[in-house]
Amino acid sequence: MASKGTVSVEVSDLRREFKGKGSPVVALDGVSLKVGQGEIFGVLGPNGAGKTTMIRILSTLLLPTGGWAKVMGFDVEHEPEKVRRVINMASGAEKAGYDFISAKKNLWFFSQLYGIPTATAEKRIMELSEMLGLTKYLDRKFYALSTGYRQRATIARAFVNEPKVVFLDEPTIGLDVMTARSIREFLKEQARRSERTIILASHNMAEVEAICDRVAIIDKGKIIAAGTPEDLMRSLGAPALVMEVSPPQSGFEMLSRVEGVKGFTASTEEERGLSTVHIVVETDAAARAAEDAVKREGLKVVASWRKQATLEEVFVALVGRGFKEREEQDVV
Amino acid sequence: MTSLRPILASAWMGIQHDIAWTTPVLSVALRVVAPFASAMTVSIIYWFGTTSASPGLFNADRLAYVLIGSTLYAHVASYAWVPTVAIAEGKNLSVFPHIYITSRSTAFYVAGTVLSSFVISTIASVAALILAYLALSSFLGTQIPATVTLTSVAMVAAALVANIPGALGLGFLLGAYSMYASKFEWSLPGYVAGLLMVFSGALFPTSFLPWPISVGAQYLPFTQFIAAAREALLPGTSGDYATSMGLCLVGGGILLGVSMFVYFASERKARKDGVIDRRLA
Amino acid sequence: MKARALVRLWSIFGEPLWIVVSMGFPVLSSLALSLLYYSIGAASYVGFAVLGGVMVSFWGNVLWSMASQFYWDKQEGLFEIYLTSPAPISAILIGMSVGGIIGTVPSALIVTGIGWVLFHPAVNAVWGGVILTFGLTLASLYAMGMTLSSLYLAYGREAESLNEVLQEPVSMLSGLYFPSLGARSPFPLAIQAAASLIPLTIGMDALRKTLFYGNDIWQVWPDLAILGVMAVVLLFASTYALKYLENVGRRDGTIGVRIR
Ligand SMILES: Nc1ncnc2c1ncn2[C@@H]1O[C@H](COP(=O)(O)OP(=O)(O)OP(=O)(O)O)[C@@H](O)[C@H]1O
Ligand SMILES: [Mg+2]
Repeated sequence: MASKGTVSVEVSDLRREFKGKGSPVVALDGVSLKVGQGEIFGVLGPNGAGKTTMIRILSTLLLPTGGWAKVMGFDVEHEPEKVRRVINMASGAEKAGYDFISAKKNLWFFSQLYGIPTATAEKRIMELSEMLGLTKYLDRKFYALSTGYRQRATIARAFVNEPKVVFLDEPTIGLDVMTARSIREFLKEQARRSERTIILASHNMAEVEAICDRVAIIDKGKIIAAGTPEDLMRSLGAPALVMEVSPPQSGFEMLSRVEGVKGFTASTEEERGLSTVHIVVETDAAARAAEDAVKREGLKVVASWRKQATLEEVFVALVGRGFKEREEQDVV
Repeated sequence: MTSLRPILASAWMGIQHDIAWTTPVLSVALRVVAPFASAMTVSIIYWFGTTSASPGLFNADRLAYVLIGSTLYAHVASYAWVPTVAIAEGKNLSVFPHIYITSRSTAFYVAGTVLSSFVISTIASVAALILAYLALSSFLGTQIPATVTLTSVAMVAAALVANIPGALGLGFLLGAYSMYASKFEWSLPGYVAGLLMVFSGALFPTSFLPWPISVGAQYLPFTQFIAAAREALLPGTSGDYATSMGLCLVGGGILLGVSMFVYFASERKARKDGVIDRRLA
Repeated sequence: MKARALVRLWSIFGEPLWIVVSMGFPVLSSLALSLLYYSIGAASYVGFAVLGGVMVSFWGNVLWSMASQFYWDKQEGLFEIYLTSPAPISAILIGMSVGGIIGTVPSALIVTGIGWVLFHPAVNAVWGGVILTFGLTLASLYAMGMTLSSLYLAYGREAESLNEVLQEPVSMLSGLYFPSLGARSPFPLAIQAAASLIPLTIGMDALRKTLFYGNDIWQVWPDLAILGVMAVVLLFASTYALKYLENVGRRDGTIGVRIR
């Protein structure tokens, strides 16, 4: 889809360090990418990967410490005013709004900051609310909205100025399945119908798989893979192996010595008294070898099956571990 | 004209956010209480001090001088620090970064909130001044001089308006600080009020301060604003109205220019350091 | 309770800048009012303005740290933790008071120091009486803070506005800077009677008597007795109000509610 023609976001060797008390944290470590007009582009990665940092830089909230980024041809560092005219952003975690003001007036307020005449703004607010199922709640004070509706209002705000490029940071975090789905439908609609580019940071694989035209998988500030979700999943070759092992285990280090195992991620279900391991393998032979290696340790394989790869497995194949383990590593 | 939109919307939001927890009338009424009480306190100190120290010291003109000055410094203090709150609160509510990335600057937001609180604060201060005048006349049993005519009221109104650039300048300076501040900004109003009390000639002529502080204080736009308003209500006590107005506008303009420069520099640095969207408790 | 006092102190002294920040208004307003007394030819009363500056530090601390503390804690989700902890909540309040008093001492000392150096206010003190009066005044003032802090629980964002509404009128009525009771008071009797309900009013009057007029303890004992009674009554009132509001809060589900 990048072939759609015009490039709307271009990032080149983008870096950002934070000076802390100890050694500086490198949040972004040389990221480059190109996103086409009308594309929904996913930025996927575990906690602390640098997704939010990238969104903050692209939405002119933060300066990069190296490299450059352009939005609709304007440099985010040197031409922020021009960038701001064509963008907007929202963060699912923040739910920004004035508590004691109605959702509608909150939206109106932001439209005014873009200099939009009130009549036009009101029409647009009604349309957006209709699409997001927010209409009934528009007159409620912001604090009296439930999390889901506050989030819908937050998303509506991100489209109130008809931006060409919208940055969304975990827009469906903490929402129930139905609400999340309706928001995703809305985003797809905005990209298809109105040719808006949407950059979506998330660590929800299913979400990214469902709506993104292309994905960049990011880990420790670096892009480790990019492409359409289909291509990325196809690149894995053999289907993944899933095993339920008893008794529960915390480490499966023996797997890393098996030829043809690219990586694995394990989780434990105490109440069922077993651990589930997802293993990304290059070949069917490697899958058999992995199963044998587990049995050789004296563990019981309660069940095992093969499964079509998802983006999670793509990440595991590239990093050797899953999101969870990656995030735990960071804490240590 | 499109710049007017964000300013007016911010002013509207400022008023709404301010009074949303109660009714507008009650909210303004509650705002009268503090300036009323502080004007009373200062005036009573004058009365108590002069009547206790030695007979014949008390002078009703000077009481009026103190009463007007104390109301007006409180007026400036109560609206100039509003940007600090607007920014701090904006950060708490996570709206500030979204205001920042709109195509207009946050300076419009700051200006809008200052204007809205100027309006509220002016209503409250005028009411406080009238109430304190009545209460003092009755408690102290004296006739407090005041020239209240259409002209003098218009002159005071003009002085209030002439003081806006200076107050806005002070607001931008405080706003520049609160871009970075943590919870310290909540005590800034105390500082602003205290500094104005000492240096704006509100309670005593700036000449009582030691040289060269007295000269600096003399040329503060706020000092000149208070002098001009006082000259309107008590002709012949504080110098020349037109001169004060001129100095107030010039000083205010300079302060506004410098403070906008500082504000934008602080905004740029905040973006570099990544604190524009930092949430503060 | 000790822990709470320590937390308070630690947060104050852990951030020395906090002292600089919280002393702004007391120092500057006391300076301004001292200059006012000085400039009108009433230099002999400058001590009143300095004493007012000292006491306004504590009054400000009571309002902004004590009274609204639970409100802030509620905002940050800490209040639920206090409620569910085994320590009685009045113990937490007393701990906060002790911490608040000690934390305000630097500001009070700076006000005194500046006033002393610049104006050499005349004093005629019976120091034993001054210290006892000062202690009882603080006890009753902070007990009032505890009561307010319980009441504030019932409110949300209004707490802040209530503080603003209370600060100046109480400063005026209680006579922080001039006598508000007795022959030299500008107020009619009815207002004086109402003002006497505020512990600070009684305390300020007694403080001026012992510090500037050389009254000894026997001359101010009625004031001291009233202050003592007020402290005890307010202490009980705060516990009672807290229990009551806690129950109301639990019933109406307002305890965990935060308004950002
Ligand atoms: N202001 C800051 N100061 C210091 N370090 C920071 C700052 N902001 C972010 N970081 C660090 O930069 C790294 C990337 O953070 P970022 O918020 O971009 O991650 P993320 O991918 O959005 O994670 P999450 O999924 O948890 O939202 C982290 O290690 C984080 O601790
Ligand atoms: Mg993030």
